[in-house]
Amino acid sequence: MTAELLYGAYILVWPAITLVVLGVICRAVARDVRKARNSDEDLV
Amino acid sequence: MNENGFTQFSTITVLLLLAAFYGGTYLLTLLIRKDKEDTSGFMVAGHHVGFGMGAASMTATWIWAASFYAAATSGYTYGVSGPIHYGLWGALMILFIYPFGRRFRKLAPNGHTLGELIHARHGASSQLILAGSNILGSVISLMVNFTAAGALVSVLSPLSFEMGVIVAGVGVLAYTLTSGFRASVFTDFAQLVALMAIAIIIIPAVLFSAGGPSVMVEGLSRLTDEQANIFSMEAILHQGAPFFVAVLAYAIGNQTISQRLFAVREKHIKSTFVTATIGYGAIVIGLGMIGLMALSVGMEPIDGKMNNLIPQMVSTYLSPVFVGLFFILVIGSLSSTADSDLSALSTIMMADVYGKNIARNNPNPKVMMLVGRITMIVATAAGLIFASFSLDILVMLVFVGALWGAIVFPVIVSCYWDRVTNAAFTWSVAIAMALFCIARFELLEMTGLTVLSFEILASVGGAVVVGLMVFGFLGRTAGFLAAIATLIAMLIFATGFLRDYMVLVASLTAYGTSAVVCTVMTLFSKERFDFDLIRQRVGDYDEVDTEDTSNLVPEGAK
Repeated sequence: MTAELLYGAYILVWPAITLVVLGVICRAVARDVRKARNSDEDLV
Repeated sequence: MNENGFTQFSTITVLLLLAAFYGGTYLLTLLIRKDKEDTSGFMVAGHHVGFGMGAASMTATWIWAASFYAAATSGYTYGVSGPIHYGLWGALMILFIYPFGRRFRKLAPNGHTLGELIHARHGASSQLILAGSNILGSVISLMVNFTAAGALVSVLSPLSFEMGVIVAGVGVLAYTLTSGFRASVFTDFAQLVALMAIAIIIIPAVLFSAGGPSVMVEGLSRLTDEQANIFSMEAILHQGAPFFVAVLAYAIGNQTISQRLFAVREKHIKSTFVTATIGYGAIVIGLGMIGLMALSVGMEPIDGKMNNLIPQMVSTYLSPVFVGLFFILVIGSLSSTADSDLSALSTIMMADVYGKNIARNNPNPKVMMLVGRITMIVATAAGLIFASFSLDILVMLVFVGALWGAIVFPVIVSCYWDRVTNAAFTWSVAIAMALFCIARFELLEMTGLTVLSFEILASVGGAVVVGLMVFGFLGRTAGFLAAIATLIAMLIFATGFLRDYMVLVASLTAYGTSAVVCTVMTLFSKERFDFDLIRQRVGDYDEVDTEDTSNLVPEGAK
């Protein structure tokens, strides 16, 4: 059972980290879009 | 499914998927299109890319089609530690460059390429060595990505390899041509979101469809002792060590990275590159785990080709919808890298070749934009032709990798040490390449004193790699101490042992030789360089500077 948990965690931790990074990037981009809109600047 | 066990899409389905991807990406670029693009926007998005867009772009650019296939191959070959030894070192290439990137940005806040900085520091010969290595790297990358598109389309549909190559090339060119780097960064975000979302779904889907962790654990008995060991020496020596050696070389030699160092807002460089490091590592290691799962369930790659592993696992255990998602994943990853390569190539030709060497610091912005766009068209055509011929690029890759290794020390040290000269830069790279060739192709009999000399140079190379990495984060004293400790350790443990790994010896020789030659020649130099001159010499091409700056051009540029 412990081996199964370890194996499962070892595989699944990577998509979990990916999900967190995706959240961080999306939040930051949303903030950039708001800032660009408020200051009437280009996003890129 | 076809006779090989892959899910087969109809021609119409694949064409619709490609049209949806490239059509959607093209429509996205219409949102940022300007009537009149300027050179700064076209090359570095005006130096004000935010943290989110910057991190997304760096991650998407660094993940190319080969990332998944190679990570899965590493998992299948080396077992539990395999995906980490591929993904971790690739990720660290992004991490270890950012401290130097901040220095580059401080020296040349209005820069577009690392070549411009080196031109301002040393002159044309050093700059063109760097620009030449960047161009070769990007053309190879373009070719590999177009080849991957052709291979994927031909495996999953009745369409030919050539058709896949052409659709990818034309698709990428269409959405990058008008807005250049701005389009590349903007579309990278959308492509990365799709790529991450698909990776988040596919990895657990394959795990549980293949029977879940219990079935995988049962399959661990199929692994050899080395494959089951997370600290496998075989994985470290064959997969990890060569990648570790390449960490700084790939980062310095790749204009796609330096372009982003010059494009992201200065205060966001650290957060952008740290986030991209984690994002890249998680996606690539995660998809590499599919190779480990394939090993655990006892799957044999079709025709013995490791690149078939991921498509095989997805086709075997998941529905065609997931295979469609996988298709988009690969097309997205290769396209985001290919558009960055096109932007990198156009920027090098605009700034390094036209701006600094043809127009001699008096460039016409309109001509410059034309140069950039023509470069994109020519580079795409070259990439398509090379990909269609399925050329063997191994020798080219070997040379480019060595060249990148040889320029690491001279480039970095030129940004910190005011005594380094153009001659020291140029000769160190030339001699390093000559000695690399002797070691790599064993042009001399590698016995006795000869091989010992190369092992000593390789030990110096190892010390340079570790020393520079530590220097970037912890400063000069720590860097020196780390280099000396590494040199002593390598001289004790590696001499007599490294000769069994001549490929590694050759790579390290490139680092070591260029460091030794550059240092010795620099110590004989009485020149003192004022780093503030770089800021004056590297400027924005959209503003015409009428001031006579010919007296600022270094000796080597005249």
